Amino acid sequence: MSWFLQPLTYEFMLRGLLASVIVGVLCAVMGTYVVLRGMAFLGDALAHAILPGVAIAYILRGDLLVGAGIAAVIVALSIGLFSKQGTIREDTAIGILFAAALSLGVALISSMQTYAVDLSHILFGDVLGVSPADLWLIGGLSLAILLTVGLFYKQFLVISFDPVLAATLRLPAELLRNLMLVLLALTVVVSLQTVGVGLAAAMLVTPAATAYLLTRRLWPMMLVSAVIGALSSVIGLYVSYYWNIVSGSAIVLTATAFFLLAFLWKRVRS
Amino acid sequence: MKKIFITIYLTLLTALVLFACGQPAPDSPAAGPVVLASTTFLADIAQNVAGDRARVESLLPFGADPHAYQAAPADVAKIAESEVLIVNGLEYEHFLESLLENAGGERTVIEAAAGLSPRADAESEHGVDPHMWLDPNLVVTYVENIRDGLSEADPAGADEYAANASAYIAQLEELDAWIVEQVETVPRERRLLVTNHEAMGYFAERYGFEIVDTILPSFSSEASASAQEIAAAVDAIQASSAPAIFLGEVENPDLANQIAAETGVKVIDDLYLESLTDGPPAATYIGMMKHNVTRIVEALK
Amino acid sequence: MTHTPHRLEIQNASIGYGEKIVLRDLSFHVPHGARVAVVGPNGAGKSTLFKALVGLLPLQSGQILIHGLPLGNHLDCVAYVPQREDVDWRFPVTVRDVVMMGRFGQLGWLKRASRRDMQIVQNSLEQMGIADLADYSIGQLSGGQQQRTFLARALAQEPHILLMDEPFSSVDITTQEATLSLLDYLREREVTAMISTHDLNLAATRFDHVLLLNRRLIAFGRPGEVLAQESLSRAFGSSLLVMENGAMLVDECCPPEEEHHHTETK
Repeated sequence: MSWFLQPLTYEFMLRGLLASVIVGVLCAVMGTYVVLRGMAFLGDALAHAILPGVAIAYILRGDLLVGAGIAAVIVALSIGLFSKQGTIREDTAIGILFAAALSLGVALISSMQTYAVDLSHILFGDVLGVSPADLWLIGGLSLAILLTVGLFYKQFLVISFDPVLAATLRLPAELLRNLMLVLLALTVVVSLQTVGVGLAAAMLVTPAATAYLLTRRLWPMMLVSAVIGALSSVIGLYVSYYWNIVSGSAIVLTATAFFLLAFLWKRVRS
Repeated sequence: MKKIFITIYLTLLTALVLFACGQPAPDSPAAGPVVLASTTFLADIAQNVAGDRARVESLLPFGADPHAYQAAPADVAKIAESEVLIVNGLEYEHFLESLLENAGGERTVIEAAAGLSPRADAESEHGVDPHMWLDPNLVVTYVENIRDGLSEADPAGADEYAANASAYIAQLEELDAWIVEQVETVPRERRLLVTNHEAMGYFAERYGFEIVDTILPSFSSEASASAQEIAAAVDAIQASSAPAIFLGEVENPDLANQIAAETGVKVIDDLYLESLTDGPPAATYIGMMKHNVTRIVEALK
Repeated sequence: MTHTPHRLEIQNASIGYGEKIVLRDLSFHVPHGARVAVVGPNGAGKSTLFKALVGLLPLQSGQILIHGLPLGNHLDCVAYVPQREDVDWRFPVTVRDVVMMGRFGQLGWLKRASRRDMQIVQNSLEQMGIADLADYSIGQLSGGQQQRTFLARALAQEPHILLMDEPFSSVDITTQEATLSLLDYLREREVTAMISTHDLNLAATRFDHVLLLNRRLIAFGRPGEVLAQESLSRAFGSSLLVMENGAMLVDECCPPEEEHHHTETK
């Protein structure tokens, strides 16, 4: 058992484990919507799209995370606006806004004076550098987001599957869609602040994609996705400890391995 | 559903078996105080002060770019197990901040540049230039800070540290004199530096170089040079007749090569500004400085 | 004497997307329990009318009244069965899940499905003959079965007005008959049905009202009145061929995705 306990004697490993499991579960659940609605690039896109928010916060000497959060929410709502019923598709809107926001951010940063530090990297966390404050933040936010998803489960299901039915049932479809986009934005920002962009973006897609292959209904898909997210984090972290690899990458590769297993299993079955 | 759980369980089991047989965890601490420095050049400077009493390790490996550095758990474990941690300060280790702060445990942290005032620069609003180590005279203060910090963490060794420090400071003064001598051989009007980013500020100020232009007027790797800035670089080089562009070891040479092609100047891309090398030519801090100065003087003569 | 409001009243409604008006100045009223065939050439605005009735498209002018009150005052009074192409068949839901969604309007935000809801869902599944498919993923179903799933969902909604967009195109005879017997069942319960179709024969024989559209109201009334030469030629223009023996052929030249329809009508 000592190989199991030994890494946990380090505080940073313990916090890293907790953080990656929480992020793993949160991103995996939200990732269900990302995968089903064809928004797989949302994580990566938002991670770059927050750049202008961070730049402006830096110039105003404000809190960078708040700047990032606001930028993310604005971009998310803009995605909703551009892809309103019948205009352009969500993935197209994401592509456009991501490029625009990133360029705006680069322009802002480049116009700043000498010795401006690497702004987006300030925001990107490392799963090995999680502070107690980070844990509280991600824990609290995850709880809030997952509760909201639970509360609006039926509504989110309908607007994702059949927007026309949503209108027929007189659901406030636009409002709900915007709510979902905002929840996604907050999920991405806090996740990448805690564990970095590579890990956050991957956890939004891979566990849910794996779960899609293994389940037939929505809430089992969420459940399996969460389990895979959590397992990938734990296994990945331990592998990174014993094989001396960068932890975030190890977790992503573990999640990918699960996906490949599910993919092969499905092939073999049919 | 059952099949899914069986699959996951088996995978988990396989993985556990694999790494149970894997490599053992990081070594347990050595005899004296365990000292960790953020970079290779700091480690070398500190080792000269620590002498035989303590072994100083570097967190970043040779040639690593602190901005791009990704730590594995073993690296953070080193931080967690250190008793003394030496950083440059002035936000140089900004990207390691979360790792350094959250590794857990307690230690003495020595900020090498403590007490030194950063370069006055009218344009800079945010951040300061941390590259003080490229001026050996400032490194004297580094040495003093390290000596004091080590003595605090390990009072029994205070005398030894003091002696080592004095000896090393003498070497630094020698180095300084040697550099002055070398620079004298470059005609005054050719003491011009064009760099990729703002690293040579303190060096230039100390030894009478003029920094003609910086291609990327920002320390950020997210920044891109605008067309105007590249044009400005070309103009500045042509106006001043600067003979060469100097690049550090972790920099993308494309922009520099572009500008060099336009202006016909040399590109020297093997300066070691932020890291030592494993073996020659920059195996020690003093070696690194000598190598850099030699290359600069050669190019400008 | 009490005046019972008609089930559905359209008054001078104009419907469109932004600047573009697709349906102009519609006025008609549909009584309780009527079964209306909505016909007209492609682009006539049949789907547009349905979208407005469901609340997906705002009215540019005029009004729509259900039970005498403007649209929106009655929660999920109207059920809509879309054309098959509009659905994401790879979504992880079973047949039962889809039909249960029809109850969500009644369920409100926090409540879970009650025993009564589950009973209604079960009844709807049985009514449409797909109870044995209840736990299948929708992606596993045949075309006709998918159609019947959505009919079951509409049924589960317990609507007052049912709208169906081209339910008879490209389905097998079994499904077609199942749909028609569903309509009979609904008529007994005084549910008003509006069905768009290209099949003028069906419109003439199995429906009690016909709404003929071509960007505006051409005619509304009994099939015999509406499906007469004069109104048909106004609706279908040169696609209408009148034979010497009085028979009329409508050639609906459709966009490349659909088949040609040749319908003979008297």
